[in-house]
Amino acid sequence: MKRILPPWVRPRTLIAVAAAAAILAILPLVHGNRYWHNQLTETLLAIATALAWNWLGGYLGQVSFGHAAMFGLGGFIAGRMQVSLGVPMIAAWIVAGVIAGLYALVWGHPTLRLRGPYFSIATIGVGEATRLICTYWVWLTGGSSGMSLPVQVQLKYQLYWYALALALVALAVSYALRRSPLGLALLAIKSDVDAAGDVGVSAVRLQDLVLFLSGMTMGVCGGFYASYYSFIEPGDMFGFARSISFVLMGVIGGIGTIAGPAIGAVIFVLLRNSLIATYPQLYLGLYGLLLIFVILFEPLGLTGLYVRILRRARPDLGVTGMAAEESAVPATGAGAARVEQREAK
Amino acid sequence: MTAVLRAEGLSKRFGGLKANDNVSLSLEKGQILGLIGPNGAGKSTCFAMLAGSIPPTSGRVFLGEQQITGLPAFRVARAGVVRTHQIVRPFANLTVIENCTVAAAQCSGRDDAGSRELAREMLRFVGLEKRRNGYPAGLTLAQRKRLEMARALSCAPKALLLDEVIAGVNPVEARDMVALIRRIRDEQGISILMTEHVMAAVMSLCEHVVVLDAGKLIAAGAPKEVVQNAAVIEAYLGKKHA
Ligand SMILES: Nc1ncnc2c1ncn2[C@@H]1O[C@H](COP(=O)(O)OP(=O)(O)OP(=O)(O)O)[C@@H](O)[C@H]1O
Ligand SMILES: [Mg+2]
Repeated sequence: MKRILPPWVRPRTLIAVAAAAAILAILPLVHGNRYWHNQLTETLLAIATALAWNWLGGYLGQVSFGHAAMFGLGGFIAGRMQVSLGVPMIAAWIVAGVIAGLYALVWGHPTLRLRGPYFSIATIGVGEATRLICTYWVWLTGGSSGMSLPVQVQLKYQLYWYALALALVALAVSYALRRSPLGLALLAIKSDVDAAGDVGVSAVRLQDLVLFLSGMTMGVCGGFYASYYSFIEPGDMFGFARSISFVLMGVIGGIGTIAGPAIGAVIFVLLRNSLIATYPQLYLGLYGLLLIFVILFEPLGLTGLYVRILRRARPDLGVTGMAAEESAVPATGAGAARVEQREAK
Repeated sequence: MTAVLRAEGLSKRFGGLKANDNVSLSLEKGQILGLIGPNGAGKSTCFAMLAGSIPPTSGRVFLGEQQITGLPAFRVARAGVVRTHQIVRPFANLTVIENCTVAAAQCSGRDDAGSRELAREMLRFVGLEKRRNGYPAGLTLAQRKRLEMARALSCAPKALLLDEVIAGVNPVEARDMVALIRRIRDEQGISILMTEHVMAAVMSLCEHVVVLDAGKLIAAGAPKEVVQNAAVIEAYLGKKHA
């Protein structure tokens, strides 16, 4: 086992994730509840998007308020390929994902070089511009009346397992991007792009790579969404509320942590469903309030809260203060402990 | 003698200001070369051009036979020219050893485990091995300057550019730092180009110094001779002292 895996993969983590995946895979066969089945599918999709957003927003610190652009583009391209060209579903998702990733590079390659908040500001413009263009691009999107895909009840049920696979792939990429040697380079870029360059880190290449992966995953998720709902329309797919939802999931769970955004996604889906039911007009404002609230009181979200509690309850573990301040919480904290163990041997 | 790093007629304009004006210098193999000059003379600008952080307006930089002018900083670092920063810039979100590991992984050509080993060796070399699992925020200024050096050394450079690593630390730490710089050259065989305001350190470390004033080279030679030079005294102290 050890020899097949790269040294930075912790077998314990792998086993835990595999066990959770196995349980999730057989769960629908046990409970048979259609409502919960759909809720779980949506949650798994939300997890994949939250993790993909976090690669750029969390690991590299480039917060995007325009990721719905790639989600929407992926959705409509995958939909159009299936409806008009008869491309099989999975192939359509993948092609749509690649195109969405390339689209992200087109606007992101120049804007990622902007320092400070300017990248984030640019993403707002990109998101809105993409929404407008696609709303008027009737051939691709069907315009404001949207696009319908053939409804297949059996497919909608099966898509649960596809969503599970999508979330697992996103989780694996999250883990690899953080724990592999590449992860340190990403953190260095986040901390100080110029100093990273001075020690040989190619920031441009890594930023572009992460952006492409993030955009591509968003595109695939958009394609999934189209197949799952069998009806999509530009106002919703490209909406600012959707872009904000990615940010919010990351922030709730803990920006820059490996699995935090996944937990954020679970909370978010629960929250959204109750909010939309109760305050259909207000939810965007409520998103904003929630964002402000979390950033003010616990910038690392639930993961930060967890570390804080852990430090109180188990001071013997020696979870360091700096780790709590900067993203890497469980990653570097545990990583350092692991190095110690290895050295002790 | 063979030059490890050579600058030919480097100039840099910032708008109307000529921060460097036709600067040529040559760092020989195994040499500790001093680049001195009053505040604002253009020393850090010269370093930035040598390390690829900023492109020169004109002029050329050679690493051995290879021309590296205009290459991005990461390529210059991988080729073997690495600088430290006058104002230390550790990666705050990485532990001390991770700061060095990331540099080693990018530049030294070693694999993952080898990089970690090199990083640890370099931390031991500068005397920070015990602090390796802490974060830079927990270090004193002198220790952060050492981290800056260990991180640069983890790149396994051919030429190391030290930008005022001594200034600002107390006299005891300064003495240790002088010894450390000498050990880098003697034990690792790395050629060093350094700027420094602490003249005692320059006098004891450098065989050769070049003097920069208002972007221009005004003198070169052994440190003892250079400090007697009228133009140099004038640059540092003003006309009436010359
Ligand atoms: N990015 C920049 N844009 C504009 N002017 C700059 C820039 N960088 C440096 N300068 C100017 O160039 C001149 C040389 O600066 P530099 O930092 O190279 O001097 P220095 O010799 O390192 O000084 P010190 O001893 O204070 O470190 C200064 O007048 C400085 O203000
Ligand atoms: Mg300077």
